[in-house]
Amino acid sequence: MITVKQLTKVYQSGKISFPALKEVSVAIEKGEFVAVMGPSGSGKSTFLNVLGCLDRPTSGSYFLENSEVSLLNEDELARVRNQKIGFVFQTFNLLPRLNILRNVELPMIYAGAPAKERRQRAQEVLNQVGLLEWAGHRPPEISGGERQRVAIARALVNQPAVILADEPTGNLDSHASTEVMTIFKKLHRQGTTIVLVTHEQEIAAYARRILFFRDGQLIKEEITSVPPEVNNQ
Amino acid sequence: MSLIEGLRLALESLWVNKMRSSLTILGVVIGIAAVITVVAVGQGGQAVLMAELQKIGTNIFAIYVNWQEGEPLGKHDFTFQDIAVIKELVPEITYLAPTYYIPAVARGPKDKKPAQVIGTEADYAQVANVKVVRGRFLSQGTGTTRAVAVLDQALAGEIFGRLDPVGKRVTINNRPAQVIGLTKEESGFLGIQTSKRIYVPLNFAQDISGQRLIQQLEGMAANQEKISAAMAKAVKVLERRHNAKDRYKAISLEEQMKIAGKITGIITLIIGAVAGISLLVGGIGVMNIMLVSVTERTREIGIRLALGARRKDVLKQFLIEAVVLCLAGGLLGVVIGAGGSMLVARLAKWPPLISFGTVLIAFAFSVAIGIFFGLYPAGRAAKMNPIEALRQE
Ligand SMILES: Nc1ncnc2c1ncn2[C@@H]1O[C@H](COP(=O)(O)OP(=O)(O)OP(=O)(O)O)[C@@H](O)[C@H]1O
Ligand SMILES: [Mg+2]
Repeated sequence: MITVKQLTKVYQSGKISFPALKEVSVAIEKGEFVAVMGPSGSGKSTFLNVLGCLDRPTSGSYFLENSEVSLLNEDELARVRNQKIGFVFQTFNLLPRLNILRNVELPMIYAGAPAKERRQRAQEVLNQVGLLEWAGHRPPEISGGERQRVAIARALVNQPAVILADEPTGNLDSHASTEVMTIFKKLHRQGTTIVLVTHEQEIAAYARRILFFRDGQLIKEEITSVPPEVNNQ
Repeated sequence: MSLIEGLRLALESLWVNKMRSSLTILGVVIGIAAVITVVAVGQGGQAVLMAELQKIGTNIFAIYVNWQEGEPLGKHDFTFQDIAVIKELVPEITYLAPTYYIPAVARGPKDKKPAQVIGTEADYAQVANVKVVRGRFLSQGTGTTRAVAVLDQALAGEIFGRLDPVGKRVTINNRPAQVIGLTKEESGFLGIQTSKRIYVPLNFAQDISGQRLIQQLEGMAANQEKISAAMAKAVKVLERRHNAKDRYKAISLEEQMKIAGKITGIITLIIGAVAGISLLVGGIGVMNIMLVSVTERTREIGIRLALGARRKDVLKQFLIEAVVLCLAGGLLGVVIGAGGSMLVARLAKWPPLISFGTVLIAFAFSVAIGIFFGLYPAGRAAKMNPIEALRQE
């Protein structure tokens, strides 16, 4: 479903050019749960941003569901972000002034969905993350863990091809992290494709495969042994 | 994204910053209110001018001596004979009176007041539509210097008090005269209070001023169609009698009014332009705040872009915000401007004229200002790099 070949991203600031990604090639199948690990500055976020069409690679190819993303224009990229990608950020990135239902509806607004359908679908995904009763509240009124669950609901609302999560538990305590990861696990079971960046071994353990980055290169891949406590649930 | 959705997004954002939004539109409010007031008052003035013209008549004219530099004064002065001959030879003219205007002080038994003395004769009552309420007006053919006066009723009240002035003595610039009649109180032209009038025989006016002069001939044509012919023929008669070319000019009241109308129109335009500048300043204020808003909401813009907003969606959102701001300002401005022009109209005693067209133009202008001054900030928002925008605190 996702195939990248020789993906390279070079940041140019003035005369200095910095290669944040160096010829990364990897394929991710539909329904996979992949974790991305590596030291700070190794290019994990850059990789995810390219996958999420927020950034264009300097060279290399990127196929998303059999279409070559680097050939798309700006509006088409926006459409891909809207329809095929669901982002979950470390800092949640909800709009604090809008209520939770409205936050979740937002991607559907840009998809041009009618109001009634938006409402229905937003309530559905909020129910999925267990926060339907908070629909009328605003993000500052709920906890960090709950905010991240709202963000996941928002990522799901347009039924994207893949969920891209950049350190989604980075700002959460262990209890909230477990809650959030339980949702990811559930989504994975239901067949959602997930790519998740993390620093933590325990979080990466939820994934079936781990990609290790260092200095912009994909240096190692690992298939996780199924942890017993995850399997038991 | 539909327009309605865009409108909703814009209103949401504006509502969040209620205080700032209302301060932002203040400039537009003041600008639109000022323009509306100026235009309404100006148009009201024009309308009154035209109404006044209809009331006085479109068949009134005046003839004056077109004195040329270098010529001795009084060389082409009107004579009583001129009047008689013109009336004889020009059938289009129904009334023709000589006039001599002198500012003076009138003293009665109770008080003294400044007054406008008009030396003339009987025809003037018809030409100037003077209504006598008591006694009689001046008689025709005033070869005499009889010291009589016809007073404006209000002036008479002021200087005579409760006494009946008819038959009594009034002093005009220290010359005694006998009051023979009272005229209906003058409301003044365009509601502007002028000095109250005293009508005296022309010769007596000349005595008061010490100059043997007829300033103007004021006349009435049989009707509006005949006025051009009446004026042309009268001028011709005068030229022949005085053997002078281009020394007499006739102007109809209508022409005079039109000149006055043009002048008030130009004044309205100038004041309107000044008011328009305040509107421009208001627009710049909107742009300024929109720029601040775009910078502050960088992260929001990043989020929207990440969720699939196209650049034109972001552009649209901020543009709609600017237009909504300006439209709200325009609406409030129209309301305040309407109130303002009513106030001015009440003070000036003429009806305010807020036409549908004026209001429509005001709204169109608000939208145009919103688009013009919103485009740059909205463009800035739409050009943002989503990753950098998301990184912003
Ligand atoms: N816009 C940019 N211009 C220049 N250099 C950049 C830019 N964005 C990222 N980089 C550099 O690219 C490298 C990779 O950054 P990236 O954010 O992908 O790292 P990361 O693996 O996500 O790190 P972390 O774990 O700290 O989030 C870093 O050295 C970073 O400084
Ligand atoms: Mg990162």
